[in-house]
This record gives sequence, C-alpha cells and structure tokens, in this order.
Amino acid sequence: MQLLGKSQIPNPKLQIPKTGFGICVLGVGIWVVGFGIFAQAQEQRGQLGTVGALGQEVKRPPARTEPAPRLPDGTVSFDGVWVGGGPVNDIAQGLPKGEKLPLLPPAVKLLEYRAQHETDDPHLWCMPMGVPRSTPYPFKFVQDITGSTAPPHLYIIHEGNIHSYRQIFMDGRKHPAELDPTWFGHSIGHWEGKDTLVIDTVGFNDKFWFDRKGTPHSEKLHTTERWTRPNMGTLVNTVTIEDPTYYSKPFTVTFNARLQAPGDELMEYICQENNQYGQAGGHDNPFGK
Amino acid sequence: MRTKFAIFVALFSLVGAGAAYAHHSFSTEYDGTKTFEIKGTVSKVEWTNPHARFYVDTNENGKVVTWNMELASPSALARNGWTSRTLKVGDEVTVKGYAAKVAQYRGDARSVITADGRSLFGGASDDGRPDGQ
Repeated sequence: MQLLGKSQIPNPKLQIPKTGFGICVLGVGIWVVGFGIFAQAQEQRGQLGTVGALGQEVKRPPARTEPAPRLPDGTVSFDGVWVGGGPVNDIAQGLPKGEKLPLLPPAVKLLEYRAQHETDDPHLWCMPMGVPRSTPYPFKFVQDITGSTAPPHLYIIHEGNIHSYRQIFMDGRKHPAELDPTWFGHSIGHWEGKDTLVIDTVGFNDKFWFDRKGTPHSEKLHTTERWTRPNMGTLVNTVTIEDPTYYSKPFTVTFNARLQAPGDELMEYICQENNQYGQAGGHDNPFGK
Repeated sequence: MRTKFAIFVALFSLVGAGAAYAHHSFSTEYDGTKTFEIKGTVSKVEWTNPHARFYVDTNENGKVVTWNMELASPSALARNGWTSRTLKVGDEVTVKGYAAKVAQYRGDARSVITADGRSLFGGASDDGRPDGQ
C-alpha cells in the first residue's frame, strides 16, 4: 500500500479515454450515446478531483422546456422520474434571497449541538428522510393508479434513502384529530385548478432532520407543499413550514426537481442491507446506543 | 503504474441520472486530502446497499492485507453502466481513492483499473446539491 503525497498525485483532470469503447465494459443505454459527453468535474475538492461522485462528472442533457404533459381531464401530469425537490445540505438554501430561517432559541441550540454530532443524522443510519427533505436518489409520483382522472390516493415513491412511499389522501377527508407521530406524517391533498397539487401534512415525528445540517422540527410540524410542473423537465416544490416549537413564524422554501432522462426507472435500494456507515470514520450508531 | 490516468466515467452511462447518488456525506468518513493507490486482487464483491463494496487483497511488506473499498450504491453504479459482474473475484486491479479518516484499510474507491485495461469510475459519495439542479 502506498499513500500518495500531494506532489505524487496524478493530474486529477478527468479525461475521456481515447480507447473508450475498447476498454469499457459499461456498454448500456444506447439511447444516451448522443448525450455521451463528459465534462471535467466542476468542483474539485479532493486531490483526485471532486470528492463528490457520479453526477458531477456527467454532463447532463439540457433540461426539457416543452410544455408539461396533461392527464385526460387537463390536470398536469407529474409522470416521470425526478431528482431533487427538497433540501439536502441546508433547508435555508430554499429561502428567497436575503431571508433567514426564523429560528427560535431552542432551534439555535439544537443546531449547535447537531453541528458537533453530524453523524447522528438518522438518514445516515438508514432511517427515512421525512418531509420535505430530498436525497440524491430519484422519486416518482403515482398520480393515477386507478386509470381514472380523479384517483382517491396519490403516492410519492422514493428509491432512497430509504426505499419508502408517501401516501396522500385525495378524497377530501380531513386529518384525524389525533395522530400517532410518523416519519412522513398524515397527508391530504387537493388540486388547485389543473396546475397545482397542494399537500397538507401533519402528524410527523420529531426524529428526522430537515437537512444534513440538522435543521430541526418538532411533532408540531405542519407542512404545506405546492407542487407545479412549469415545463416538461421541471417540478417546483414550494413548501410552507410551520412549527411554533422552533420557528417564530412560518417560512416558505422552494426547491426544484429535475426530470431524469427517458429510460431511467426507479431501482431497488434497501439501505439496511449492508450499511457500514460509521466504520471508516469511527462513528457509533446513535440508534444502537 | 499508468502515469497518465483516465478516470473513465461510464461513456454509455445514463447521463440524465444527474445528481450524485450516495448515502452519506463524504467528509464524515473519508479524508479528501489523504489518497491511496493500491494494487491487488479482488477477493469479494458486495453488490449491496447503501453502498456496493469490493475487497482487495494486497501485499504489504510481505503480508496480505485486505482493503474494504466503498463504491456508490448499486442503483447509482447501474445508472453509470456498472453491473454486479463488472468486478469479479480474482480480478487484478489498481485502485485509487480516498482513505478512511479512522479505519485502516478502508477506502472510498475513486477509480479502478483492471488488468485487462478497463478503467472504471467508482465514485462513492455525493455532493449534496440542494435541488438537483
């Protein structure tokens, strides 16, 4: 084994191999040949190039900007495989420019604690991400499971992390008066016109973090998501968050999801299968204590 | 060792897969300034979640030690053209990557060169972009 010193590191620039076809066994997805152009990592944080991984080296095709598809009754269709649509690192990134989270002192205190305990993030230990957090994994709306144009339920299926689904009741019911706290809460939804899906959710537990930073919430969390599809390639999720335990007033964040290329589908992702997180960095599982 | 090193990012990959797919933040587990390069023989492949892994037996001062190499998730690798058969037990490989912060013989495998000349990009950790843009 040889640990390389800085001066010994080969040029970290990514290069398209000249003999690509011959040396690569990775020949799948003929449909993408036209897009098969790879760019140098845009951001290089490590000596071998960016420590971020797959996507950054991939130059994606331009976002599709044609009009969004419609269901037979004219309602916008969210069909497709999407990535994004929620916070990953910091939910404050979704605020309008110049705004800050209206953190109450308990939230500030908890954020400070979590900054010192970032590996306590339940997400790292194969727990669900909650709402409105997103992951770098794709998700999909199941909007019309009955084949009718007015399904009583709507589902959001997440590939990871973890493999999970959200159930949204679209039949006009109200939230139950009392709910047992859960990771994804109790969601009811309706359409405003033909373009906006509104999902109202309560009944959350307080376990998940909004983001890697550990931005907190309590069981009093109430989220109102407004999903639109302004064009073929984009979903916009505008979420209003109320939680009087940690925030002095409601705030609204907006995140976009991007349509994945045709042919991509959700894949299996069973996080609990072989999670060795913590072993390389020497971290204990907070759920195993 | 090849001095001119091409990190081959799955020429035929599903380009639109887009965001980096991974389970955890890189920085809590690996050191972006501590790189390694080892040569050895693949002794085990785990096509598992949240990360695929392969193990490499390598000779260290006359003694065989086994490295535990982390890759991206199988779904992310598949979108970049890998299959569970891309690396096989017995393959002779050169692996470059980032070393674990604490554990010895664990690494975030950044690239894998096989004896038959295949160059594989094995990115393992994500960049955490906020909205997939």
